[in-house]
Amino acid sequence: MASRSKHATLLGLRHLTLMVIAFFMLVPFYWVIKTAITNENIYAYPPSLLPQNPHLFNFVDVWYLIPFPRYLLNSIIVSTIAVVGNVVFNAMAGYALTRQFAGRNLVLALFLSCMLIPFQATIIPAYLITAKLSLLNTYFGLALPMLSTIVCIFVFKAAFEAVPRSLIDAARLDGLSEWRIILRVLMPLSKPAIATNVILTFIWSWNNFLWPLLITRDPLMQTLPLGLARFLSYLEDTTGALYAFAVMVLAPSILVFLMAQKEFIRGLTSGATKG
Amino acid sequence: MGTQNVSWWGQQRNRQLALIVCFLLPSLVIFFLYRILPLGWNVILSFQSWSPLRPAEWIGFEHYVEMWEYDDVFWIALKNTLIFIAASPLAIAAALGVALLVNSDLKGASIYRTIVFLSYPLMAIAVGIIWRWMYDERGGIINYALRSAGLIDKPIGFLQDFDWALPSVIFAEVWQILGFYMIILLTGLQSIPQNLYEAARIDGAPAWARFFRITIPMLRPSLFLCVVVGILNSFSSFDLVYIMTNGGPGHATELLITHIYKAGFVQTKFDYAAALTVVQFALLVALTFVANKAAGGNAGAVERD
Repeated sequence: MASRSKHATLLGLRHLTLMVIAFFMLVPFYWVIKTAITNENIYAYPPSLLPQNPHLFNFVDVWYLIPFPRYLLNSIIVSTIAVVGNVVFNAMAGYALTRQFAGRNLVLALFLSCMLIPFQATIIPAYLITAKLSLLNTYFGLALPMLSTIVCIFVFKAAFEAVPRSLIDAARLDGLSEWRIILRVLMPLSKPAIATNVILTFIWSWNNFLWPLLITRDPLMQTLPLGLARFLSYLEDTTGALYAFAVMVLAPSILVFLMAQKEFIRGLTSGATKG
Repeated sequence: MGTQNVSWWGQQRNRQLALIVCFLLPSLVIFFLYRILPLGWNVILSFQSWSPLRPAEWIGFEHYVEMWEYDDVFWIALKNTLIFIAASPLAIAAALGVALLVNSDLKGASIYRTIVFLSYPLMAIAVGIIWRWMYDERGGIINYALRSAGLIDKPIGFLQDFDWALPSVIFAEVWQILGFYMIILLTGLQSIPQNLYEAARIDGAPAWARFFRITIPMLRPSLFLCVVVGILNSFSSFDLVYIMTNGGPGHATELLITHIYKAGFVQTKFDYAAALTVVQFALLVALTFVANKAAGGNAGAVERD
C-alpha cells in the first residue's frame, strides 16, 4: 500500500514537472499572439496579461505597411522549387544508391562527409559561384543550394531498400522498364519517405534567412524572413503589426509540423539511428 | 571484338551504369557547387589578396597574421563562440531530463513531447523577434515577471546590457533547440533493450547505478550527435543573433559567423572573411573530433543541414 502511494506521488511529480516545462515552452507563443491581437500601447506598464479588446487589425495592417503579398509569393515560389527539386533529385540519388556499382562507396563517403559541412561555412564562395552563374536575385538562385538534401537521400534509400526484392523482380519480368518500376512500384510504396522529404524541405526553405539575405538585393525578390527583418529595421518594434507578421509567418510551419509530426521526426532522427 | 554487333549502349550493364550516373548527377552537382568547391575555394581565398575588382595576389599567411595580431573582434567572437558551444552540454542535460520524464508509458507523454518540440521547426528570425519582445526593458514579460516577483527593482535591458546580452541570446537559442535534443535522446532511449534494466533490477542495482551504468553508456551515440549539433549550432545561430542583437551591444554577442558575415558582406573583404571561415571550420572539425574520441570512436553518422 505504501509503495503504491509513493508511486502515485512520483507520477504526480512527473506530471507537475512536465507541466511547468510545457508552460515555459509555451509562454513565448502566448505572448506574441497576445501582443498581435491587442491595440493598447504595447509599452504600457504593467503589461496586461490578457488581451484587451482583441481584434485582428494588426494582421490587416501588415498587408499595407510592407509588400507582404510579394514576400509571401516569393517564399511560396522558392519553397515550391526547393520541395519539387528535392523529391525528384533525392529519390533519384536514393534509388541509385540502392544499386551496386563501381564507386558506390566513394559516393556514400562523399555524401556523409558533405553532411559535416554547414552551409554557413560556405557562404563566401557560394555567393561568388552564384554570382558567376548570374543567379543573384533569382528564384532559381535562391533555391539552388537547397535542391538536394543528404538526409533525405538516405531516407529514400532506406524506403526503397524496404521494398521486397521479389516485387521488383516480378515487375521486371512483366517487362516494366527501369523508369516505370521507379514510378509505378517504388514511389507509391515510399509515400512516407516522400512526406518526410516534402515537410523537411518546406520547413528548411521557408525558414531560410541567411542565403536570401546574401543574394537578394532587390526588394522584389526577398522572402518572408527578410521582410520580417526589414519590417523591424524600418518600422521599429513599436507596433503590434510586427508581431502579427511574426505570427503569420510562423503559422504555416506550425501547421505543417502538427499535421505531420511523425514524418518530420523520422526525417530528423534517420541520421541519429544510422540506418 | 565481341562487341561489334552490340553497341556500347546496347550492353545491359553499361546502360544501367549510365542510368545510375544520371540519377546521381543532379545531387552530386549541387553538393559539388555548394559544399565541396566552396570549402576548397575558402582555403585558397584565405591565402590571397582579392576583391571582385582586383586580380588575385598570393600573400601567404597575411590574413591569418592580421587576425591573430590586430583583429580584436576576432578574439571576442572566438570567445563568444566557445561560450555558445560550452552552453550546449547544459541544454543537452536539460533535454535528457525531459526525455527521461516523457519516456515510458506516461499518460499524455506525446502532448508534452509535442509542446517541447514545437519551437524547433520555427523560423529563427520570428523566434528572435519574439524573444526581443520578451526581453524588452519597458513592456517585456520577463522584466514584468521578475519585478512582480520582487527579484529586481529596476528593469534590465537584457539585450542592451554587455553582461546580459550573450546569456540572453543563448537562452533563446536553447529554448528553440531543446526539443530537437530531446527527440534525438528519446530515439536513443527507446533503442536501449529493456532486458538490460530487468537484469540490473534482479541484481539489485539501485536506480542511479542503472542510470550511469546502462542509460548513459547506451546513449553515447545519441549524446555525441547532440554535442555535434551543439557545435554546428554556433554556425547556424546566425539568424537568431542577427535579428536579436546583430552582434551588439559593442561586440558582446559577436559570434565568428556574424563576424564572417560582416567582414564579407558589409565590408566586402571576401578574402579576409574566407580566412575567418577556415579558422571556424577548423575549430568545428577539431571539436567534433574530440567529441567523437570522448564518445568512444565511430559514434555514428551526423546529420543537419
